[in-house]
Amino acid sequence: MFEKYQEFIPEFLQFQKSLYKPLPIHLRANPLKIDPGRLLNLLEEKGVFLRKSSDTDRTMYIAPGLESPGNMVEYFLGYYHPQAFTSCLASIALSPKKDSYVLDMCASPGGKTSHMAQLMYNTGLIVANDLYPSRHIPLGHTLERLGVTNAVITGYQAQEFPLRKHFDFVLADVPCSGEGRFRKIHDTYEYKETKARYALPDLQKKIILKGFDLLRKNGVMLYSTCTYNPEENESVVSFLLDNRDAEILPINAGFTYEPGITKWGDTKYDKRLERTARFYPHRIDSVGFFMARIGKRG
Amino acid sequence: MASEDERHYLFGFLKERFGIPEDSFEEYLLLRRNKSWQLIKNASQLEYASNLKVSKVGIRAFQKVGAFVKPTTRLIQIFGHSATKSKLDIEEEQLSIILSGEKFPVDLAIDKGYVILALNSKMILGLGFFVNGEVHSQISRKELRQAMLIY
Repeated sequence: MFEKYQEFIPEFLQFQKSLYKPLPIHLRANPLKIDPGRLLNLLEEKGVFLRKSSDTDRTMYIAPGLESPGNMVEYFLGYYHPQAFTSCLASIALSPKKDSYVLDMCASPGGKTSHMAQLMYNTGLIVANDLYPSRHIPLGHTLERLGVTNAVITGYQAQEFPLRKHFDFVLADVPCSGEGRFRKIHDTYEYKETKARYALPDLQKKIILKGFDLLRKNGVMLYSTCTYNPEENESVVSFLLDNRDAEILPINAGFTYEPGITKWGDTKYDKRLERTARFYPHRIDSVGFFMARIGKRG
Repeated sequence: MASEDERHYLFGFLKERFGIPEDSFEEYLLLRRNKSWQLIKNASQLEYASNLKVSKVGIRAFQKVGAFVKPTTRLIQIFGHSATKSKLDIEEEQLSIILSGEKFPVDLAIDKGYVILALNSKMILGLGFFVNGEVHSQISRKELRQAMLIY
């Protein structure tokens, strides 16, 4: 599987083997509702022993043996949110500050939005945007359950989001082919490429340009996908660099990753793309992920 | 935006029934939309977003049910910790009764009306309704499910 990426995925055999392992359950404790230490105690009383998944962050855990994290009273109470480790890293890499004005361009189902609210201590304002009204229901539900009181929901096309006032932070976690989520847990599971995926890079390029244009000077944007495909990752960020005065900022969030690629087959990318980050399941035992932290010069 | 009178009526109800101080809501704006009220943390950035077409604001805080106004489960989960009265501590056994849709008898020296349900004295679940010496749950059984008692 994914042989076409053999050229740049390190330890490719290990990578392929990792796709046969089930994804571990990761939880993010929600300090908007409970102190993480108290959550640990509550779950231990029920025989659920969490393990820290980060040395620097006190809210991210692995929950071995917890098969249905949505079936606990503590889930209903919003004390935690089941969220992939790499998905949590996106909000941490962006690190929106207290009292800032934030746009989440493709927000549903709300894991990253609620994480940003947590990092902002429920201050400032998050505009949580998602085009489809049907996705506003799970998005609103997640935000309410987790006690997020600093967000509004809008329903614009991300690539046509109207400019009223520039944002301090923009998260562009764009629609993608989702390759990073694939695990071959059963024999019947096969990764299937659909025709729709070929239209994704065009959409992603429109979204990254719009996100950048919505950013204030010295503001920060995070572009992220859960795919390995360079056409949805480095190519899209390259397109931004070609068309706007953007800079790629380093990602120093206390976790290790592979640098973005600068060559794939005959295609060469800007050297600056080495500052983007690639996450592979055999290195971090989570969903495959890509992120680029982008700055707008003042 | 809800009027000052509306704010005072709704937050005054929480003060009178549960002892939740009205100043708990000083940092929040209350907005009315049809039969519900939404609560959002006040911030200067709200002015920037005022020209956007918004489908939802903050959390739903109150809902009109017939002639009455009911505080939502999520509002109570956030602010119920500062309640000083009309609060009922329940244990797993009573929670199980609630989740099966049944009422359970309690000895409470309060008028009929809403009570805050706290599991094991520490987890604020939401509201119950106390009438004729019995409490029945006001919490959605889609959200708080019987399956959650496995753990």
